[in-house]
Amino acid sequence: MALVEVIDVVKEYRKGEHVIRPLDEVSLEIERHEFVSLMGASGSGKSTLLNLIAGIDRPTSGEVIVNGTAITRLSRRQLAHWRAAHIGYVFQTHNLIPVLTAFENVELPLLLLPFSRSERRKRVALALEAVGLSDRADHYPRQLSGGQEQRVGIARAIVADPLVVVADEPTGDLDAESTEQILELLMRLNTELGTTFLVVTHDPRTAGIAQRRLRLEKGKLLDRDCPAHVATITEDE
Amino acid sequence: MRFLRYVLKSLWGHRTRSLLTVGGAAVSLFVFTFVGGVRGGMDQISSGWNERSLIVFQIHRFCPETSRLPEAYGKTIAALPGVADVLPMRVFMNNCGATLDLIVLHGVPPQKLRAFRDLSLVAGSFSEFETRRDAALVGRTVADRRRLRVGDKFTVGELTVTVAGVFSASNPAVENTIYTPLEFLQYGRGLNSVGMVTQFEVKVADGADPVAVARAIDESFRADRVQTDTRAKGVFESFAVGDLAELVGLAGYLGYACIVLVLTLVSSTTMMTVQDRAREYAVLQTIGISWDGVFRLVLAESAVLGGLGGALGVTAAAAVLNWGGLSLATEGVSVAFSASGGLVAIGLTVAMVIGLAAGVFPAWQAARSDIVEALRSS
Ligand SMILES: Nc1ncnc2c1ncn2[C@@H]1O[C@H](COP(=O)(O)OP(=O)(O)OP(=O)(O)O)[C@@H](O)[C@H]1O
Ligand SMILES: [Mg+2]
Repeated sequence: MALVEVIDVVKEYRKGEHVIRPLDEVSLEIERHEFVSLMGASGSGKSTLLNLIAGIDRPTSGEVIVNGTAITRLSRRQLAHWRAAHIGYVFQTHNLIPVLTAFENVELPLLLLPFSRSERRKRVALALEAVGLSDRADHYPRQLSGGQEQRVGIARAIVADPLVVVADEPTGDLDAESTEQILELLMRLNTELGTTFLVVTHDPRTAGIAQRRLRLEKGKLLDRDCPAHVATITEDE
Repeated sequence: MRFLRYVLKSLWGHRTRSLLTVGGAAVSLFVFTFVGGVRGGMDQISSGWNERSLIVFQIHRFCPETSRLPEAYGKTIAALPGVADVLPMRVFMNNCGATLDLIVLHGVPPQKLRAFRDLSLVAGSFSEFETRRDAALVGRTVADRRRLRVGDKFTVGELTVTVAGVFSASNPAVENTIYTPLEFLQYGRGLNSVGMVTQFEVKVADGADPVAVARAIDESFRADRVQTDTRAKGVFESFAVGDLAELVGLAGYLGYACIVLVLTLVSSTTMMTVQDRAREYAVLQTIGISWDGVFRLVLAESAVLGGLGGALGVTAAAAVLNWGGLSLATEGVSVAFSASGGLVAIGLTVAMVIGLAAGVFPAWQAARSDIVEALRSS
């Protein structure tokens, strides 16, 4: 059984008589430890699909099943608790709570789970080490560069050891060098920790590191299913 | 609550706004508590006396300085049916009318005092009071406020008295009184009051109707040059402070207005916060905080603002009321302001409740907002 199963999902927005249908019977499976990228034109419904899998939005119809849990059927409260334990979410910008330090930001998801204080400390330290920012634990978001802020955001997404980490254009706001760092980091987390990733991006280079690249077009999902190394070579040419 | 740190840091993050709100809440609750203390003082006056005591005053006179009754009236009154006992009293004060620094001396026959007042001595002795010409028995409240001890001398107008004892009494209004021997206030230099008293206090005998006795007293002096006006003691004193009571009653509305003020102040600050931080709450919810968790976070912020401000205001007001030595007096009746434990508890509870109540609407707004929409719109 796949880790993530999206089955015939439809998402519609109604504005009076006008109906927008960014997702039209979309189905998708993501396996454990997979790294999947999702591309598509602006407004094609990428974020919408990602948010459904992350459990912060609900489909008009269809089913989303993660690790055997039909999350579309959970109550609002249950869903929140489920997210805390099983989903890591990396935003394009402004991931962090400005009044909290890097350490406190990364610790947030753990506060919602039954971890002791010392266990929280250990996990946060490990997560910050994984993103190479152990020395910035006491810094506030305004004292960090855009790339560093993004890495703290990634540390927070992985700290509770979630089933899936979703990222919506995680490098969309970064320069080439920072983008490179982030991509390396994501790849390393995927290979070393086995973290499952779904990354929405406009950037072919970011998509290039994925094992599987998907594309949304006119509400339908095109599964290109090409291996990562082939994609990288094509991108390099 | 594991998120307390976040709540406090958020408030500290907007410290100007937070401090202004806390300040506003503090001022409002200061006023609320202060008004409560003043009202409490007023209430003591009318509630402390039993209905079986009457006060005989000169008719159409309101200031004790101007009420002058022949001391001999006392004998006539004592002989009336239904009268158990009569206490002649001369009231002397340094000022007539409403003032914040009024000292009133109540001159009474020393041997009679204990029959009319339930006093117990905290310091000094009754025999000293009964023998010494310029002795003064000082109520505990006055003694505390003016830092008077046994043996101290103090001056009121042209008179200087010596503290012979400090007493406590079951009636708080009595504890705010100073007694001296009646003769001292009659024979003093320039007093011109030999054989004259300000009023009589009449104890009505068991089974007699106080209203009928009052009428009989006034009736028996109807034909005399100096006529009398007799009322129940509580009524008399309430009447004396009537204008004040009206003012204080108005001030009571001020107290309630203050509560509404804090409510809107804390509420609008919290509302601003919620609107500013719509994205932040969406991020927190994405991380896994449930809608009711967000509700509680917002509520906690407003409760801290209201509670902290309230605690400051109530404490300040209690300090001023209890140690500021404030009392207000008019027409010889003095009202002591004090903040009782009950009043402080009420103030703090009101502050907490306001803080929570002020947060409800903003918290509800934050909790029901759609995550995706909030993320999208910023
Ligand atoms: N609340 C809404 N009401 C109406 N239409 C909406 C709403 N939210 C999203 N849409 C529409 O749904 C479509 C998909 O939006 P989505 O954000 O998923 O696109 P996207 O692929 O992530 O775009 P981008 O690359 O610009 O981020 C868009 O056409 C958008 O206008
Ligand atoms: Mg998008």
